[in-house]
Amino acid sequence: MAGGAHRGGGRWGAPHSPAPPGPRGCPVPLKAAAQSLCRKPTWGQYCTLLLFQRKLEIYSVEHHAATDIKKKEGRDGKKDNDLELKRNQQKEELKKELDLDVSLQFAFVLFVFQGLSSTRAAELLAQNGPNALTPPKQTPEIIKFLKQMVGGFSILLWVGAVLCWIAFGIQYVSNPSASLDSVYLGTVLAVVVILTGIFAYYQEAKSTNIMASFCKMIPQQAVVIRDSEKKVIPAEQLVVGDIVEIKGGDQIPADIRLLSAQGCKVDNSSLTGESEPQSRSSEFTHENPLETKNITFYSTTCQRVFRCTATGMVINTGDRTIIGRIASLASGVGNEKTPIAIEIEHFVHIVAGVAVSVGILFFIIAVCMKYHVLDAIIFLIAIIVANVPEGLLATVTVALSLTAKRMAKKNCLVKNLEAVETLGSTSIICSDKTGTLTQNRMTVAHLWFDNQIFVADTSEDNLNQGFDQSSGTWTSLSKIIALCNRAEFKPGQESVPIMKRVVVGDASETALLKFSEVILGDVMEIRKRNHKVVEIPFNSTNKFQLSIHQTEDPNDKRFLLVMKGAPERILEKCSTIMINGKEQPLDKSMAQAFHTAYMELGGLGERVLGFCHFYLPADEFPETYSFDSESMNFPTSNLCFVGLLSMIDPPRSTVPDAVTKCRSAGIKVIMVTGDHPITAKAIAKSVGIISANSETVEDIAKRCNIAVEQVNKRDAKAAVVTGMELKDMSPEQLDELLANYPEIVFARTSPQQKLIIVEGCQRQDAVVAVTGDGVNDSPALKKADIGVAMGITGSDAAKNAADMILLDDNFSSIVTGVEEGRLIFDNLKKTIAYTLTKNIAELCPFLIYIILGLPLPIGTITLLFIDLGTDIIPSIALAYEKAESDIMNRKPRHKKKDRLVNQQLAVYSYLHIGLMQALGAFLVYFTVYAQQGFRPTSLFHLRIAWDSDHLNDLEDNYGQEWTSYQRQYLEWTGYTAFFVGIMVQQIADLIIRKTRKNSIFKQGLFRNKVIWVGIASQIIVALLLSYGLGSITALNFTMLKAQYWFVAVPHAILIWVYDEMRKLFIRLYPGSWWDKNMYY
Amino acid sequence: MRRQLRSRRAPAFPYGSRYRLDDQDEVNQNYLADEEEEAEEEAQMMMASNSEEEKEEEEEEEKEEEEGQGQPTGNAWWHKLQVINEYLWDPERRMSLARTGQSWSLILVIYFFFYASLAAVITLFMYSLFLAISPYMPTFTERVKPPGVMIRPFAHSLNFNFNVSEPDTWQHYVISLNGFLQGYNDSLQEEMNVDCPPGQYFIQDGDEDEDKKACQFKRSFLKNCSGLEDPTFGYSTGQPCILLKMNRIVGFRPELGDPVKVSCKVQRGDENDIRSINYYPESASFDLRYYPYYGKLTHVNYTSPLVAMHFTDVVKNQVVPVQCQLKGKGIINDVINDRFVGRIIFTLNIET
Repeated sequence: MAGGAHRGGGRWGAPHSPAPPGPRGCPVPLKAAAQSLCRKPTWGQYCTLLLFQRKLEIYSVEHHAATDIKKKEGRDGKKDNDLELKRNQQKEELKKELDLDVSLQFAFVLFVFQGLSSTRAAELLAQNGPNALTPPKQTPEIIKFLKQMVGGFSILLWVGAVLCWIAFGIQYVSNPSASLDSVYLGTVLAVVVILTGIFAYYQEAKSTNIMASFCKMIPQQAVVIRDSEKKVIPAEQLVVGDIVEIKGGDQIPADIRLLSAQGCKVDNSSLTGESEPQSRSSEFTHENPLETKNITFYSTTCQRVFRCTATGMVINTGDRTIIGRIASLASGVGNEKTPIAIEIEHFVHIVAGVAVSVGILFFIIAVCMKYHVLDAIIFLIAIIVANVPEGLLATVTVALSLTAKRMAKKNCLVKNLEAVETLGSTSIICSDKTGTLTQNRMTVAHLWFDNQIFVADTSEDNLNQGFDQSSGTWTSLSKIIALCNRAEFKPGQESVPIMKRVVVGDASETALLKFSEVILGDVMEIRKRNHKVVEIPFNSTNKFQLSIHQTEDPNDKRFLLVMKGAPERILEKCSTIMINGKEQPLDKSMAQAFHTAYMELGGLGERVLGFCHFYLPADEFPETYSFDSESMNFPTSNLCFVGLLSMIDPPRSTVPDAVTKCRSAGIKVIMVTGDHPITAKAIAKSVGIISANSETVEDIAKRCNIAVEQVNKRDAKAAVVTGMELKDMSPEQLDELLANYPEIVFARTSPQQKLIIVEGCQRQDAVVAVTGDGVNDSPALKKADIGVAMGITGSDAAKNAADMILLDDNFSSIVTGVEEGRLIFDNLKKTIAYTLTKNIAELCPFLIYIILGLPLPIGTITLLFIDLGTDIIPSIALAYEKAESDIMNRKPRHKKKDRLVNQQLAVYSYLHIGLMQALGAFLVYFTVYAQQGFRPTSLFHLRIAWDSDHLNDLEDNYGQEWTSYQRQYLEWTGYTAFFVGIMVQQIADLIIRKTRKNSIFKQGLFRNKVIWVGIASQIIVALLLSYGLGSITALNFTMLKAQYWFVAVPHAILIWVYDEMRKLFIRLYPGSWWDKNMYY
Repeated sequence: MRRQLRSRRAPAFPYGSRYRLDDQDEVNQNYLADEEEEAEEEAQMMMASNSEEEKEEEEEEEKEEEEGQGQPTGNAWWHKLQVINEYLWDPERRMSLARTGQSWSLILVIYFFFYASLAAVITLFMYSLFLAISPYMPTFTERVKPPGVMIRPFAHSLNFNFNVSEPDTWQHYVISLNGFLQGYNDSLQEEMNVDCPPGQYFIQDGDEDEDKKACQFKRSFLKNCSGLEDPTFGYSTGQPCILLKMNRIVGFRPELGDPVKVSCKVQRGDENDIRSINYYPESASFDLRYYPYYGKLTHVNYTSPLVAMHFTDVVKNQVVPVQCQLKGKGIINDVINDRFVGRIIFTLNIET
């Protein structure tokens, strides 16, 4: 297959080597051959088989040759300076291709009418594979699952679990009756890892499934000639050499060389981004396969033009098509880590770093304090477990998927969960023009008549045509527009809004038809009333279209000649011009006015058409006169010029607003299109990508009447760069360009250049979003930090490469995405701050246990119940928090400076709130012990006696004696108390985390109802654990007396008050030391 | 040089797809006019990547990445180390951990005040908490109830293994018992404690903080196990004495005026392994007069009552598991998890 791709590449291009001595690729004789064939159809029936086989032989010889060369290349490449040899090889290869082409001509002549035989086709199909794009390589599910199993903290917990088992193993060897505690713990840890892994996997799989259902394609059909018969087969089964028939409206099923074509136009916008359809015929017109007229490409569409039919031979299928290559270019682009993944990794590193270093530090301390090494290992595990927020990553996943769901409701479908946030940190959006910013549909934009330019409504529904329609000129012009038009609505669409009706006809005729239908009403009816007697359709030599009609006025027996076409050609044919409904001679000043208007409209990037008419004098052309389009027995000069009309693929009405919003959110919007610079610039101006008062270097030069080189580049805010210029730029120049101009339009870019632009942006440390719909966008979509594809117009390749799909194709949905992304980033900060806080409260017990020898305040398994029990729903609830301030008015976060977990967040969570929480929890713990008989002072260094199984009459402060199990039970009560202490303070923590700067009361205590669900869940889970499961010894929970639940409440209030103070000072003294150190 | 070339074009491309890229360039040649230069560049690229071109694309990809990373890692580490070093102490700006000395002292001061006030607050909370807890009576005693049982001598093990003829094997039991019984010496008891009437609770009303009197429990009550007549507590004759005491619990009273009794038997195996046990006091019970206990602070001289078990005839040269249980109303001796509540199990292995 690799060889095949290489072969194809060679044939289509190699422009970097000396041009071959003659037409290549699409040889002219081919056409001649085809024509001769048309005359003598019986030819092929003689010796098809023989020559056909020969052709195939050549094909395969060439194939081998290519592979051989490749092998050779592989070897030669090891020498560094083999440039010359390399070139020679390329030449050789080319020659071979020439041979192939010559032979192809013969071969091909023979089976145009017979087509391939089914058996041969089957062989070829087996050899070359089906005509379908290889879907991007999927990571096997099991790998995805295993990734979840070892990602994040999991590896740390696995280590903990294994250490537990090892510790037990050692204990068991020395003492077979060793307690199973560490086995339990190890098992619980493993179960936790597996469960969270399964959960995360499930979440991800769920969002992928949405995509899978979305991407299902309707199988495409193709009409093919095989065994001398026309057959309809699935397009997948096409092979090279198949003769295919195409008609208007079809999607091209493979790369096809046209053998015959009538009036066909193809829409290449998915390939090049050009919005204008291009005509296709069997003529070879250009060396370049993209430009030549006799090749149509896979996945482009043939326009619904009246009576368009074409026959062609498949020259490439599947991945070897142009589209296939672009798609594989996309799949070659590595998947970058999303910003949020980087942030989470950063966070995991911080927490794991703290966990491991504290763990090892205390391991050493424990060993130094003469603890048994096994005990020290158990401490190490406990410290790790206390430090690792086991539930957090699952929580983050849920938060992201909640946002993804919310965005899906707003028509942003997120393929990759992590991409939810990426849009929020986006600082540059590279947007494709056609179909993303524009409607991908020609629409009448301006009219010029009565020496005046009128603006037509180009919004999506187009109903509000508010220009002055009272002039007599307009009456004439509208008549020409309606009559001189071959496009027709498909029948049966009366209930469909005009702009959405399906039209048979090319793009500009469609635009004119719809335009006149909106203004004049039923165009078909008008045409019926003005019966057409003769017409000359548009062709590229005439550059005009003409028709002659009977007028609807029964008293007027004159014929009306209407004509439209290239403005300058139309003007040439006119001697008068209509002003305010009256004919006037076309003098110099009028011609000047015409030119000014023409240039102005052309300068807007619009396609301009001229319109003229002429009433044929009734005496010369009586009703019975027979017109003949061939001999043109009617006048085509000295007509009356009526007006100009210009069309453009107009921007979507929501786009300018969205661009403004992006601007105010500090996001740079760059247009990257394959279209012409003038059109691109015009659209950029109209949507605000180039703002009204900014100029390009060229503009300044023009205004000041100086050469472009003389302009100070710093004066220009905007830049329009074509692919040609881009090609000559070094990366440094591109960087400079991207850094210096706030408003940039790239026009005439190739897919690969789009990639280079994206990379350039990424070099600026920007998070780049790319929007696009065409196949040509897909590599850039893949390369971007977040690729946004259009759901309706988007090609499958684009959707595959994208991370996000706009279901309504609405650019403004991106703004929603940005907003949601920023919100989720803020909220994840809050969630993480909330979760990290209790780590200290979980960690302190172990440290104090090791250093001061208190009876263990909280057990490892109990910790897991906080991390995975009480804290889960509240931390998810924070994802529902509303934005604190206008998040769309601030700059996007800096990828490297504004971290998800920064120093302030960690310090404030660990050393402030965390510590207060630990103290509060200890208060509950001490209370329980004191009320049972052990005052805090007596607890210090009690550990050895306390933990001794044999000591069954340990004396407390009151002289009471405790058996070992009674102490154990008290210890569990202590666990429960500590647990409840943390839980109660986590409620306060949850409330304070609702905002980072504003007062809670400003944010509204009850606005986010989910928070209260979270609080309720916290309490209910704790109650269940204490009272419901209090009797299960393995869980180490006991039924806690009611009053202990309230001991930590004052502390919780203290936390709240302290945080309110913090926020108050931040608000009062922005920029102060406090603000810098306490705002996270 | 290779790295440069890489970034010059599309750095993320695996070279495996190079030829496709090349095609792509050609596809774009309508945009790219200058063919010669392109070819030049292309050739350079090819040259640079020739060594990697192999049939399998994926393999190449991996290899590529490895090679790409392999080279600069050493430098990267060194660079990282330098960055860390600079972070720890930046001599230029006189900064440590990205803060100046002034900034550090400010932080220290602020944290000092923060933690000081936090400490003050927590002390206040603790203080008010302990004001509310009586030093005389524990607030709750449900965790320490029902009473546990312990025996003496006790030296980290409940297995009594000794050889009658080898005093070394039992001498430490004797020492332990003697030591334990010092507090029960008749003289001491008579001096410190009162002789209160047996068979009834010794209830002392009055304020919580008043000192309470304790009832005498004389060593001589233990008769043969007192160590007075037989200083070896029977160990020398293979008839060991084991003292049993019930854990003290403040306010505990045996219910319904029935004293708690002690009874021992073989826990598992032949009942006749123990043919006779003498209990001292003979009632084998804890007299009611020793209850209730008023707590360490006021009931200073309280001595726990004891029951001595004299195993006068036990099978020798064999491990005999013995279970001694408390019996009485309100006494629980069958808690599964706690083998010391209301009962105690130990083994006797007397060798001759």
